[in-house]
This record gives sequence, structure tokens and C-alpha cells, in this order.
Amino acid sequence: MKVEKTREGYFKLVASYKKEAGGWAWIIHRISGIVLTAYLYVHIYALSTLTKGKEAFDAEMALFQKPLFKFLEWLLFAFVLAHTLNGIRIVLVDFGKGAYYQKKAFAYLMIIGIIAFLVMGYFIFSHEINQMFAGLI
Amino acid sequence: MSFKHYGSRKSGSVGWLLQRITGIFLIFAMVGHYILMHYTPETGHSYEQSIARFSNVYWKMFYLTFITLGLWHGLNGIWSILRDFKMKSWLAITLYGIIVISGFAFWVLGVSTALKF
Repeated sequence: MKVEKTREGYFKLVASYKKEAGGWAWIIHRISGIVLTAYLYVHIYALSTLTKGKEAFDAEMALFQKPLFKFLEWLLFAFVLAHTLNGIRIVLVDFGKGAYYQKKAFAYLMIIGIIAFLVMGYFIFSHEINQMFAGLI
Repeated sequence: MSFKHYGSRKSGSVGWLLQRITGIFLIFAMVGHYILMHYTPETGHSYEQSIARFSNVYWKMFYLTFITLGLWHGLNGIWSILRDFKMKSWLAITLYGIIVISGFAFWVLGVSTALKF
């Protein structure tokens, strides 16, 4: 079968598809998957500092406790959630009867994801939030 | 047919199945990992706690599995995305080579870190 080259190019072609839940889930899953794999490399590299002793590791951890990195960590969790929750949906579709309720499943799982994202925001920034409200009480 | 561009006649069905099996493992592992690491901003992140976990044989086994399956799942995922594109065989082989070599290098880095303690 000869694949014809599109005049618009790949990305415009994908963008032109009518997207329902599954289409969005497919794109989100791919983007988050690439981000998470790239992060995994960074994560393994960063943790290899453990072998260089306590001082080197503590200095690195102190860097990761800075607000910018905390925010990035929180953002990373959004990708983790999107990928994990949609992964559950994929497993249900492939191994279970998910095909019958995959659109609903996508909606519910994304709502769970948003709630979990906000809850994690509290856990990551709990010191800052507590400090903010400490002055009010 | 597209497979001739990849120097392989494999349909990818084994990769598909393993992607799901490793994915199911990673769901549970990730939930545990996040609870451990973020119950408070400090938990799990100190040098002493990390060394204590890596020194424990069960944690060590868990981390070795986590590193291996996580990397495999991620890189197999990247490759399956790339396979959707029509590539010249030299490009496909180059990208596949980068995935395999970099994946192996980071796997060695991760495993050697876990095994050091």
C-alpha cells in the first residue's frame, strides 16, 4: 500500500481530525508519555548523586526544594496523573469492556485527576500554605 | 508495507502486551512512590532515608524492577510513537539505536546507584 503524502503535513492533519474523548486521550497520552520518559532520564541522573555522598546529595535536594522546582514537580504530577489515569482507561478498553464506557471513563478519570492534582498541590506547598494562613489565625 | 522500513517483520504485539503489563505494575508502583515521597514535603527525600531504603534488600529489588520496567515502558512507548511515522530506514535505525543505547546507559546508571548500597 502506498502512503500518500499529505499536502498539509502530519501535525495539521492530526489537528484537523474531529476529536472526541478518545482522540484527546490519545494525544494527551503521547505528550505526557514523552515528557515522563524524558523526566525519568533526569530523575535517574539526579539520583545518581547518592553515590557521591551526603553533602552532594543534600545540596541537590536543597536545590529541588526551591519554589521553582516545587512548581515544576507539581506540573510533573499533572503529566503523571494524565498518563496513569488514561493508562487505566486503556487497560480497561483493551482487557475489559472499556470500549462501552470509554468516553465516560475518560471524563470521570480526568475529574479524579484534577482533584488529585489540587490535593497534591497542598501537600507540596503545605509549608507555604500553612505560613500564609498562620498570619490570619 | 511499513514493516520493511524497520528491518523487522514483528507486528509489535508482544510489545503491546508488555506495555500494558508493565503499565499496570507502574500504576501501583507510582501510587506507592508518590505517597512515600510526598506525604509531607520532606518525607523520603533525605540522604539517610534514601540510603536506608537502598540498603534494604526488598526495597532494592523493588527499585531495580521499577527502574527496569519504567525505562522499558517509556522507551517502548517512544518507539511505538515513532513507528506511526513513515521513516526512511536509516532514520528508523538511528532513532532505534539512540533509544536502545541511551536506555541501556541510563539503566546501568540507575541500577549501579541502587546496587551501591
